[in-house]
This record gives sequence, structure tokens and C-alpha cells, in this order.
Amino acid sequence: MIRKLLVATSLASLCLVSNAMAQETINMWVRTGIGTAFTSLADAYNASHENQIALTEVPFAELVQKYATAIAGGQAPDALSLDLIYTPAFAAAGQLQDLTEWAKGLEYFDSLSPSHVALGTYEDKVYGLPLLVETSVLAWNKGLYEQAGLDPEKAPANWDEVEANAEAIRALGGDNYGFYFSGGSCGGCMIFTFTPLVWASGVDILSEDGQTATLDTPQMRAAVDKYRSMVEKDLVPEGSATDNGVNFLSFTNGKIGHQSLGAFAIGTLVNDYPDIDFGVTLIPGIEGGTSSFAGGDNIVVTKDTPRLAAVQEFIEFAYSPEGQKILAQNGSLPTRSDIAAQTLEGLDPRLQVAVDAIGVAKTPYTLLFNDLINSANGPWATFTNAAIYGDDVDGAFATAQSEMQSIIDNAP
Amino acid sequence: MSMTIATPLAAAEKPRRRARKNRQWQGLLYIAPAIILVTIFFVIPVLFTVWMSFHNWPLLGQPSWIGLDNYIRMFSDTRFAAALSFTAYYTVIATIAIFALAFPLALFVQNERRGVSVYRTIFFLPVVVGLATASLLWVWLANVDSGLFSPILRAFGVTGRSANLLATFNNAFPTIIVMVVWKIVGFTMIILLTGLQSIPSDLIEAARIDGASRWQRFRFLTLPLMRRTLALALILSVTGSVLAFDQFYIMTSGGPQNRMISVVYYIFNQSFVSFQLGYGSALSIVLLGILVALSVVQLWLLRVGDDK
Amino acid sequence: MSAATKQTRARRKFFGGLGFHGFGVVASFFFLAPFFWAGLSSLRSGSESQTPPLPPWPTNGISFDSYATLDTFGSGIWQHTFNSLLVSLSTVVLTVIVSLLAGYGFSRYRFPFKNVFFVLIIATLMIPFQSILTPLFIILANLGLNNSLVGLILVYVTLQLPFSVFMMRNAFDAVPREIEEAARIDGARDLKLLVRVLLPLVMPGVATVAIFAFLNAWNEFLAALILLSDNDKYTLPVLMTAVRAGRLGAINWGAVQAGVMVMTIPCLVIFLLLQRYYMRGLMAGAVK
Repeated sequence: MIRKLLVATSLASLCLVSNAMAQETINMWVRTGIGTAFTSLADAYNASHENQIALTEVPFAELVQKYATAIAGGQAPDALSLDLIYTPAFAAAGQLQDLTEWAKGLEYFDSLSPSHVALGTYEDKVYGLPLLVETSVLAWNKGLYEQAGLDPEKAPANWDEVEANAEAIRALGGDNYGFYFSGGSCGGCMIFTFTPLVWASGVDILSEDGQTATLDTPQMRAAVDKYRSMVEKDLVPEGSATDNGVNFLSFTNGKIGHQSLGAFAIGTLVNDYPDIDFGVTLIPGIEGGTSSFAGGDNIVVTKDTPRLAAVQEFIEFAYSPEGQKILAQNGSLPTRSDIAAQTLEGLDPRLQVAVDAIGVAKTPYTLLFNDLINSANGPWATFTNAAIYGDDVDGAFATAQSEMQSIIDNAP
Repeated sequence: MSMTIATPLAAAEKPRRRARKNRQWQGLLYIAPAIILVTIFFVIPVLFTVWMSFHNWPLLGQPSWIGLDNYIRMFSDTRFAAALSFTAYYTVIATIAIFALAFPLALFVQNERRGVSVYRTIFFLPVVVGLATASLLWVWLANVDSGLFSPILRAFGVTGRSANLLATFNNAFPTIIVMVVWKIVGFTMIILLTGLQSIPSDLIEAARIDGASRWQRFRFLTLPLMRRTLALALILSVTGSVLAFDQFYIMTSGGPQNRMISVVYYIFNQSFVSFQLGYGSALSIVLLGILVALSVVQLWLLRVGDDK
Repeated sequence: MSAATKQTRARRKFFGGLGFHGFGVVASFFFLAPFFWAGLSSLRSGSESQTPPLPPWPTNGISFDSYATLDTFGSGIWQHTFNSLLVSLSTVVLTVIVSLLAGYGFSRYRFPFKNVFFVLIIATLMIPFQSILTPLFIILANLGLNNSLVGLILVYVTLQLPFSVFMMRNAFDAVPREIEEAARIDGARDLKLLVRVLLPLVMPGVATVAIFAFLNAWNEFLAALILLSDNDKYTLPVLMTAVRAGRLGAINWGAVQAGVMVMTIPCLVIFLLLQRYYMRGLMAGAVK
């Protein structure tokens, strides 16, 4: 009886799996919340190629966990667009396909985004290749500048200027705020937008070899103080304190004076919010200088997938002038520097600022990125919320410093 | 009022031994599907969990036997201690809040008045909605920019500028408690109601005629007669609270500043965020022990009263 | 009885009724308001749903923009609703069959280790299934049932068993043995006896079990999140995590409200239609 039912239900679910059998179907995952660059690329590929891509969008907070469980259960997709910072951890676990030979055979290999390739390389083997590239930059709302009597064409050059201009914009009253950041324990947002403040001074939150937490520096304290001061002056919307990243694009509501954003956001603003007149500039350091976070996605291939050749065909499509153009139109910066000028031709000039940021950008290399930085309950995410919004700044520094060190020390 | 197996029939069938043996097998046959499912999807996974708890078991890569190290590690794990104390705090507050409201509501809907069944239904409605759905709904309601609570509070002058109800522990914790009470109280109310209704009304009536006051009737008749029901409601409420996860995950991601990480949330983090499945398993085993102990204590406490 | 006492009694009744219904209405408001707010807000037009939340109802006419937006997530709202329905209904059918048989077995038969088996099934309640998800995942993979709705259904049925078996055993216990004996004498046996004679008598219990199974399967979120990895197979709660995660870095609250409504309405409808059974069954279970 039970058995019959089982058969019946499994038959029913089999019928659900409609098999659009093309030449080959590549199963690929992508995280949500990174804009339309990847999906547009996949659509273009499917339209022009015999092999087809079946895309699964996975909520960004669950991608790593789901991929890891899928590997453990033998159900991993053929390839996925993986936040580049996770590439070392997955490569180290021996789950990714070694692409070294094929990749180095690409004639333009040397012009691929260097930080992506560096993150995609583990023990001298290439496991991940750049797919989506973005950097963090500071955007300001020109319309609000004008209303507040500021020069809309003059980018703020340092954080005192940001704060002063933010105050002028807040003075407009109503729902107009001077500054925004996702301050609700969003480790990913804050490493992307906030660490450039200290990186510009050559300071980092981890030592060069990644073995020591170096969070408590005068520069970090100064950066925290600056954000605290803006919060205390009511220049930041109240919602920031609990925004765990879902409202990362608050700037698009047109009532935020300044926000540090990624290049994907520039694409979104240009395409979907043409009414917002904004400028972008490099993120100033707290003590001068500029810096940026080079982020984005690497494409990685699950070890021993039978559809390796098809995936390689897709990657080559992404690197073709056509593919590069589609990506750039959707806000992803050129992956290939050799044809960057050609790729950016005719596109919004503000993307160029994000391209320039690559020159000053950093990307942390650690196997523990999730535990240390990204996890909503990890020390960095908690620190950013506690230090900026909490009552006990010293306590926040001390707790985070010791917790980061203990995670590093206990790592296998 | 537990019903024991009816004795007269059992006695009447003495001579038919073989038939009875046959019937034994039939009994096993009837429960077999349930037992098979429970074995495959519950017993084996639990045993597997025990096995894993003695290992360093990364999600990817090779597990290695480390004996009791995972259990020893717990004693110096301050974050686990924090999760335990938060869970205990939450359980006590949530249970008190739920009972404090469920009892009056149960007495209210016990009235045999017109329209009472409508109220009963309305109070129960949130129960049938999923906790995840309810959390999602309340995240919106409590959202500072798009939600309703903060402009309403401002309109009534409770807060000055729009208040972010999820930003600090002192705001977020009561918000979650209110959500949970809204969601659960109808269930507890109905269970208590069944207890109230199982009390023979002539008993209460007799006490009333004997001159017992309303409070006396409640204290010396209703409450003692409801022991079993109270035990059930209490066990369900406490167990549910100890296992709380969805509301913290969806509403505040364990924040602000990690102050709302329950034990299950911590296990989830260890297993699926840090991928330390072995340690996560050991924590699960400890949680299981705690739950069993809690249930035993509650049952015992209530049974002691029964013997008097 | 004098007219005066009659009058005071009537007045008392009136004011008592006023107090009673006054309390009832106020309390009802608190329980219902969140649903109405979400329902009304979900009908605001796309541009309106980005404006301040008060008043929480559409001011420029009703619009289904939010539902259209919701439909652009994942594989479309119909696909995910269908998945959720399939999973929930299959869970209901299987749970009813398995717990009916087991409840009957536990109520009417004696066999070795009966109590051990019963406690074993009930003990499932004690373990947070979140903590056995990984082994569960690995076992399903070995059975070839991972990333499949069938696997998910079997897990849901198992999670339903402690409550359902307990419920059904009580339901059978409450049926007088005389009825069974009479039917036996008339020649009804085993399954026939169970289906023809006893099933109608335990119908309230079955209804309770079915409704609980439906609601729990419909609402379950974490197991579905971890066990399913194909877009096409996501159930509604998993889809909602994508909606909540936002797109292009901004949450669309209109879509969230619409999603909450899609998730909520079937639960409410089923409950309202079957609540007589539901409450009766729940109470029968609770009294034990």
C-alpha cells in the first residue's frame, strides 16, 4: 500500500521535471542580489548556443551553505558563480575542478582581473576565474547637493567634507538623509564599503599572513568615530541599524546624500533609476588617500563534472567582446583589461571611476572569510554594528579582536 | 482520564492462544509503516548524529575521530553559554507571557454566550499561519521605514522620531515576544479550554451552592482538576520555546549584536555556517538531553500533585 | 419574581454582554489587524508601495502590482504554489494512512515492545529536527531522494507522526469496543473492519491529523531550504527567502506582503472550513 503510494508520488514528481533536452544542459547557480549581469549573460548564451544553461538563483545568504551541502550529497551544480572570496576555502577542501592548464592556454589569461585570479588560485593551481567584477566607490546625489546649496559637480574629497555635506542635506528636513550604510550586522556590506577607510592608510584588519587579527588600530577607531558621529547627528536613517544588507541600495530612493556602493549598483542606477542624478568618486581614507574593495564573483566548476567542455565554452563566451559588453551594460566591470576600452565604449562614464578603483583596490585572502567576516553572527559583522551603534566601543573592539583571533587559532 | 485496555473482553478470549499470537503479528504489521519511517528518517539520523559528535567532521573533506573533544570544548565555549542563557531567558519570558494571556482568554471563550465561537476562531487564526510567514509579516510591521508600528507609535507620541524596533535588544526582544504571543497564544488558549471544559459543571455548581467564592472555585477546583492539561500546555510551550529558531533567524538574524542567538540557532551556525558538523552534532545531543530532562522534571512536578 | 429584579437582571445582562463583546472586539482587532494590514497593503500599486506606509491601504484604487512582482521571482508563483500544494497534500494522504494504521495497532493490539515503539515515535518530538538535517540529507542522498519533493514529503510525514499517531491512538481508544465486537460478529475483519466500521467513527481525529499535516507541510521552511536545490522545486517558504533577500539590493515590501498573503490565505481558508473537526480533534487529543 505504502509502496504503491510511493511509486505514485514519485511518478507524479517525475512528471514535474520537464526535461528541455538540448545538446547539453549546464546546471549553474548564482546568488541573488548581484544584479542582472549574470542572468543577462546566460540569456544571451542560451539564445545563441546549442548548449543551454539552467540557472538556479540561490538567496545570497544561503549560497555557500547550500553548495557545500549539495556537494556532500552529490547533487552539486556543474558550475556556479561564487563570491570570489570563498574560492580559496572551496579549493582547499578539494571540491573544485583544476582549471589551470586550460585557463593558462587562454591568450588573454594575463589580462584577466588580477585580484580574481589571485583569489581563484590555491597552491599555484587555478580553480576560479573572474566572471563578475566590481569595486566599491562613493556615490553622491547631485540633486540633493543642489537643493542643499552645494556644488553638485564637486566630489567630497575626505570624510569631513562628506559629513559637512551630509549635514547640509539633512538640514533639508523630511526624509532626506545625508549618509547611508547597511549597519545591521552585514559583514559583507561593511567589508566592501567601510574597510577602504582604513586600507587607504595601509592598515588592515588581518595581518599579511592572515594569522593575526589587527582590528584595533587608531585608523579603525577614527573611522568608527566618524560613522558614530554621523549617526549621532541623525544624518543616517534609523533603518540602517538593522539593515543586514537587504536595503543595500537605499541610495536608489533618491533621498540619501552619500553612500558607498559597488559598480553593480551603478548599472542598476543607470538602467532602472534614470531620474537620480548622481556622481561617483573613490572612497576617501579616514586619514587621506583612497581605497576600494575589489569584489565580484569567480566562476568555479565542480570537480569531475561531465560537462566541463560546455562550461568552458560558456566561460569563453563570457570573455568574448560580446559577453564583456553584456556584462558591462549590467554594471559588471570589464574582466579583461586588454579590451576594457572597447567594452566600456558608449557606456556610462561613471563606470570608469569604478574601473580606476581597481588600481587602489584590495581583496582579503583568507580561508576563514565566512567565519570571520561575512557570517551575520561572526566577529566582524557584529563588531561593525556594536562599535557604530552600541554603547560600548571599547568593549566592541576587545570582543571582536579576541573572537577573530580565537577563530583563526582554532581553524583546522 | 486515561482509558486502560478494556479488561472484560481480554479475559473472555483466553482459550484462543493461536489467534492471539496471530493478532500480535497483525499489531506489528499495522504499526510497521510508522516504525519504518521513523527508523529511516529519525532513528538512523539520530544515531548518525551521535556518531558524528565524536568526530571532527567538516562538511567538505575527511572526518577524523576525536573522542570526547567536542563535548569538552563546550565547557569553555562562551558563545554556547550565552546561547544557553539567552534560550533560558526567552523560554521563561515567553512561557509566562503566553500563559498570562492564554488563561484569561480561555476563561473568556469558555463563556456560553452568543458569538463566542467567533472570538475563539479569531484568536486562533495566527496559530495556523507558519512561524516563518508570521515572522516575515512582523518583520515588515516592525520595519522602521516601511512598517506600521513605528509611524503608529510616533503618531501616539510614544516615541519621538521613528523608532527602529529591531535595532536594540531592549526593543527587539519585546517585539519578538509580542509576535510569538500573537502567534501562539490561541493554541495554548484552546488547550486550556479543553481542560476547563472537562471539569464537570455540576461539580462547580455544587461548590457554588456550598458558598465557595469565584476565586475559591478557581483555586481549589479548577486548577487542581486541570493539572494534566496544564502539564501538557506547559510542556508544549517550554519545548517550543527551547527549540525556537525561525523568529530569530528571520526577524533579526540573531542580532542585534548576537544577543538573540538561541541554542538551535547556535547549532545551525556551527553546522551550516562554520561547517563544523561534529561540534554541531555534539551540541544537538546536549540539547536533546536538556529537553528530556525538562520534560521529566515537569511531568514529575505535576504528578507529585496528583498523588496528594 | 418582581418586575424590578427582572429589570436589574436584564440590565446586568446587557452590560455584561457589552463588557464581554467590548473585550472580544478589542482583542479580535489585535489578532486580525496584522492580516488585514498586510492584505490591504499588498493591494497598493507599485509606486504607492514604495511610499510611506500610512495609511496601510490603497488610496489610488486596487492594484495587483505586488503580486505581479512576486511572480517574477524564481519560477513564477504558480509553479511554487503547485509545489507547495503537491507536497502538502501528499504529506496529508501519507500521514493519514500511516497514522491510522499505527493508531489502530497501538489501540487494539498487544505485541512485544509495544510501549517501546510508542515512546520511540513520540520521542521524535523531542529532537530538534534542525539538528539532524545533515545526516538526513546524506541518507536521502543515498536513497536517491535528495533534491526531490518525494524525499521532502517522506521527511514531513515522519515529522508529523508523533502527533498523528498519538492522536489516532486516542481516537481509537475512545471508540467503545462493543461496536468493534458487534462488527466482528457480523464478519467484518482487519482492514475491512478498520475502513468500513471504525474509520467513520474516528473521522474527527483523521481530520485533525490531516489539517495539522497540511499546515505544517505548507509552512515548513528550513528542511525545504536545505533539501531542495532546484529553482523549479522550491516550495513557497523557500521562494519567500529570495523575496526577503531582496533584489538589486532592495527589499520589495509589496512582494513580501503579497507573498505573506499567498502563504496565509490557504491556511486560513482550510482552517475556517474544517475548524469544527480541527477543534474537536485537538480537544480530544489534549484531554488525554
